Amino acid sequence: MNTDIALWMVQDGVVTGAIYGLMALALVLVFAVTRVIFVPQGEFVSMAGLTLGTLQLGQTPGTVYLLVGGGLLVAAVEMVQAARLGLLRQRLPRLILAWIILPVAMAMLVVWLAPHKLGSWVEMALTLGLIVPVGPMLYRIAYRPLANASVLVLFIVSMAVHYALTGIELAMFGGEGLRTNAISDWVLGSGSMKIGAQSIWVVSASVACMVVLWFFFERSLYGKALRATAINRVGARLVGISTDLAGRTAFLLAAAIGALSGLLMSPITTVYFDSGLMIGLKGFVGAILGGMVSYPLAVLGAVGVGLLESFSSFWASAYKETIVFTLLIPVLLWRSLTARHLVAEDEEE
Amino acid sequence: MNRSTMVLGGAAALIAAAPFLIPDFYVNLLNYVGMATLVALGLVLLTGVAGVVSFGQQAFVGMAAYTTAVLTTSTQLSPWLGLLASLALVATAAVLLGVVTLRLSGHYLSIGTIAWGIAIYYLFGTLPGLGQYYGIDNIPPIRIGDFSFDTPLTLYLLIWSATLAALAAARNLLDSRPGRAIRALRFRSAMAESFGIDAGALKLVVFLYAALLAGVAGWLHAHFLRFVSPHAFGINAGIDYLFMAVIGGAAQVWGAVVGASIVTLLREWLKDWLPKLFEHTGNYETIVFGVLMTLLLFRTRDGLTPYLTRWFPPTPQPVPPLATPVLPRRERPPVGTVLLEAQGLHKAFGGLVAVKDMGLQLRAGEILGLIGPNGAGKTTMFNLISGTLASDSGLVRLRGERIDGQGARAIARLGLVRSFQHVHLVSQMSVLDNVALGAHLRGRHGTLAAMLRADRRDEAQLMAEAARQIERVGLGDSMHKASGSLALGQQRIVEIARALAADPLVLLLDEPAAGLRWNEKQALAELLSNLRAEGLAVLIVEHDMEFVMGLVDRLVVMDFGEKLAEGLPLEMQAHPAVIEAYLGGVA
Amino acid sequence: MRRAIIKTGLLGAFALGAIAAHAEITIGLSLGTTGPGASMGIPYKNALQLVPKTLGGEPVRYIVLDDESKPDNAAKNALKFVADYKIDALMGSNNVPASLAMTQVAAEAKVPLIALAPLPQLAAEKHKWTFVVPQPPDLMMSAVAQHMKSRGIKTAGYIGYSDTWGDLVYNAISALSEANGFKVVTNERFGRADASVAGQVMKIIAADPDAVVVGGSGSPAATPQIALVERGFKKPIYHNPGTVNLAFIQTGKSAAEGAIAPTGPLIVAEDLPDNFPTKTVSLDFVKRYETMFGAGSRNGFAGYTYDGVLLLDAAVTVALKKAKPGTPEFRVALRDAIESVNNLIGTHGVYNMTPANHNGQDERSRVLVHVMKGEWRLVK
Repeated sequence: MNTDIALWMVQDGVVTGAIYGLMALALVLVFAVTRVIFVPQGEFVSMAGLTLGTLQLGQTPGTVYLLVGGGLLVAAVEMVQAARLGLLRQRLPRLILAWIILPVAMAMLVVWLAPHKLGSWVEMALTLGLIVPVGPMLYRIAYRPLANASVLVLFIVSMAVHYALTGIELAMFGGEGLRTNAISDWVLGSGSMKIGAQSIWVVSASVACMVVLWFFFERSLYGKALRATAINRVGARLVGISTDLAGRTAFLLAAAIGALSGLLMSPITTVYFDSGLMIGLKGFVGAILGGMVSYPLAVLGAVGVGLLESFSSFWASAYKETIVFTLLIPVLLWRSLTARHLVAEDEEE
Repeated sequence: MNRSTMVLGGAAALIAAAPFLIPDFYVNLLNYVGMATLVALGLVLLTGVAGVVSFGQQAFVGMAAYTTAVLTTSTQLSPWLGLLASLALVATAAVLLGVVTLRLSGHYLSIGTIAWGIAIYYLFGTLPGLGQYYGIDNIPPIRIGDFSFDTPLTLYLLIWSATLAALAAARNLLDSRPGRAIRALRFRSAMAESFGIDAGALKLVVFLYAALLAGVAGWLHAHFLRFVSPHAFGINAGIDYLFMAVIGGAAQVWGAVVGASIVTLLREWLKDWLPKLFEHTGNYETIVFGVLMTLLLFRTRDGLTPYLTRWFPPTPQPVPPLATPVLPRRERPPVGTVLLEAQGLHKAFGGLVAVKDMGLQLRAGEILGLIGPNGAGKTTMFNLISGTLASDSGLVRLRGERIDGQGARAIARLGLVRSFQHVHLVSQMSVLDNVALGAHLRGRHGTLAAMLRADRRDEAQLMAEAARQIERVGLGDSMHKASGSLALGQQRIVEIARALAADPLVLLLDEPAAGLRWNEKQALAELLSNLRAEGLAVLIVEHDMEFVMGLVDRLVVMDFGEKLAEGLPLEMQAHPAVIEAYLGGVA
Repeated sequence: MRRAIIKTGLLGAFALGAIAAHAEITIGLSLGTTGPGASMGIPYKNALQLVPKTLGGEPVRYIVLDDESKPDNAAKNALKFVADYKIDALMGSNNVPASLAMTQVAAEAKVPLIALAPLPQLAAEKHKWTFVVPQPPDLMMSAVAQHMKSRGIKTAGYIGYSDTWGDLVYNAISALSEANGFKVVTNERFGRADASVAGQVMKIIAADPDAVVVGGSGSPAATPQIALVERGFKKPIYHNPGTVNLAFIQTGKSAAEGAIAPTGPLIVAEDLPDNFPTKTVSLDFVKRYETMFGAGSRNGFAGYTYDGVLLLDAAVTVALKKAKPGTPEFRVALRDAIESVNNLIGTHGVYNMTPANHNGQDERSRVLVHVMKGEWRLVK
């Protein structure tokens, strides 16, 4: 292995790692606020990538049905709840606006614009508009009713949601993958040290997200309050933060990060209906290496996974996953022994 | 014959009759259920009971399946030898992996199991000699003499015998000395250690049992399907097994059967019914499966089993007979002997000195009170003596032997037992079981004996002892209630009974009277006086002055981590420094 | 609790028994329409909308069950078909291990199996009941090997899936290498949904081969294709039949240009010379398929299902003279009849079964195609 190859591998590893890093950020965020290990995080990536790809083919993506269907479901759930509390009449107009009219309007906009192929930027905006609202919907439907359950039960629900979403994606997009057009073909450097614009985008987005999240949760009052809800629900409610709002915000942000990652990576990686699990899992590994609490460490861990993957795919590609995951164990051991018990555990009954 | 034995017997009869009542295909399906039950049962013990979330069980299934496949196809070895070889390999791997991954805590552990689960899956496809990703074909059926297990019915008998045996063994285990200890691991491993339970070793034992169950399932899988390929042992399979355990109810042995049945049968039924509902329009099985699983968890958070068992009226539990031969007790040193001695204890947290140059002596037949204003360092001192915290300097002797720096287990073995300021009971376990946990070190039988029910005499003695202590503290009526259902004050009393079940020489009590009503306090004081009369040495940390003053022989008063004064209760009440500290503390 | 479950089980069983009322001829297909093999499994299933509604003139019922491309599910499905639906023949699955799993059931239940994935040599009893529709990998890859020989290629890099398909293509091309005067110098593997194959591609480029062979399928096969082209690899890149579909081109875009692959003739039905034996059947099939599933949706996988049904159609005609559908005798007769199918023209080739050869295809069943201006075209 010469320097050229090594440099190329490093670049590849960093870019892949940056995507895992974005996943790790979202996972840490959701976990910190809701104690949910959000396995389906990767699903937002594949949904966004496939939605954008479909739009670029001038077709209507299946996600419009998901958005409308999800909205109707949330509306139904909310109405039942409001009716039980006797608040149906007060809440109804808002419910209909937020969960029925807005999603339907968004969906209609996409249906109307899709055949016109209005270019990357418009298509990316449409994709975000379709995918991001799915986050809070998912929270409302699948997690909110289980807000007090144990981490294990929440995790299993995440797996169930993952199954459901993968199935939905298969139905919406079929089994084949899609690769979207790059935003620009601009390339930095030459020879073996070429760096594509898209790669730079991915890495910058990852770093930017990390910095923003870190500031938000460590420095802003609202961010700190959000974090507090995971540690002490009752306390948080007493000072006026509702678990519900915190959860919805966390899932909104997670969906936004996921969709953004999907937009960024789909020009350099083919995205499939079932890409989500592996991307999410490797992000999860990164997040764990970061102790599930620290944003910078999570990104660092994820980049480490990316690099390891890149180098082992050069040395012994047949054993790539074996190498990556076997080497993980000593690292985990080291983290487990050195990190104090930062991870909220089930020790409390 | 108790209720669960009857349920087990009834279930066994039904399971035995089932293959004669239903078509072959369903017999086959039940075979799958049986094999999945084995794996899920391991997870119930591991995850639901001991609190170790594993995604890696499919790796053991695969390892065993591949071992027997290689041996029986390439060397024509008998499948029975294949079983032995498979289990030997799985056991070795489980111990190695267990030693490494069980040291990981919490989510590190889960991700560790995901990691080796995935690593091993790819090894199956790439290691030479394992038939690449095709796998291995033409595996012979299992035989006894000329009889071969190759029809759904014969396999059914084989698989379900194994499954029922495993279920019975697991049920026996949970209802035994090591079983109680395992049930304490998930939430209360610190408490378990302080009663001499080796949490690490027990976790490893459970991990090993779960791996062996997976190994048996893998062996059956190979000789049932007659081929192996890596696809059956991917990470999705591991997740599915966990699904089964959680959906079924991860805390109950029966949860494994319920979960395995639901997940396996539901998948089959969806496959049959959905295409009829949506002809040619797509593949909705996974979607519907995911949605149904979520809904199921909404309704039954602890899995389906508790939901189902609600329909069965609980049968009254017998009170353990007190007449069984009494457990031998420790020899008591004569009253007045110094049992516990602390000298020059020092502890700082960061820059904050919590305990400074503290010492005390505790004699047999004496109650010593440790008091002081809030934040005086009483609990830190208590933890230093009991070995929960390591001191920066100083020493603690129990009966002349240094115990500082020794683990909680060794200290427990020497006869020092403590209660906890925050109640450390296993809330789902009955009061009786919780108290019996205290007598852990007084029993002998291990996991294997428990599974085979060879521990019954030993067990009867332990239960009798636990019952005796419960009667003694006056909670005889609540013996079979879940400890979590008692009032907080009563739970503190249960903690004392548990401590007494350990037959201690020295008893350390952290605020035992907190939350007790007046008459309960009276009873507690009387109990402690009786213990003193029996020659026990008792150290109490307590806030309730009235309670302390009437009870203790001597007092040690602490403030700002230091000893303020020491002497008889009446002297202390009049001691100017003590009054100052308390008034200052109040003001 | 147990009782409740067993009871539900029994009820379920009877309910299912009731719906499994018997049609004249029943065919059970196990296909991986979800899971990792879904992109292949779905077109296999699509073809069922185009197949004849009768076999040998008798009405037929097709039952499809999903196996998620997992062998134990395929075996489970096959058992269910045999036990519950009393099928007359089995078909499936779209991947190799799953199909292998079905051969076991077919042999034990004595039901003919039309395998829809290429299979390795089977044990005698399984071979007896199994007929394979797809061209054997060495037949397909020999087209590639001969083409390489004709271009004087001495070394070839290989990159394929880390799964059975990757093994299959690698084994086929390695076996052919010596006879055709080249060496396979790398055996790189990648996962279908891997984010990057940069490492593998760098290793191939470092080995500097005269050509690269890719053991992937459909859109994922474009991942190494793109990476190779981006890294400036200008020499020929060969693929395998699994790659030949529209998704590969849509994903690979300009990087896909020039990719060469062997495939069944139906892919380039229009380009075939008029005297090509399968031209009429192939052309008719792709036209109907694209009418139903959209322009450019043609693929080899659907053709396998279709040809499998054509085989059954021919054989059922013969078998009906000997026994009634739904009986063991019929299944034996059907097996015998398939084994003597002669000169049957399908979409993929001409089938001539013999007791020894249960695939019955020859070189008329494969052509070389390449990507030209965003379309798969015949290499002339």
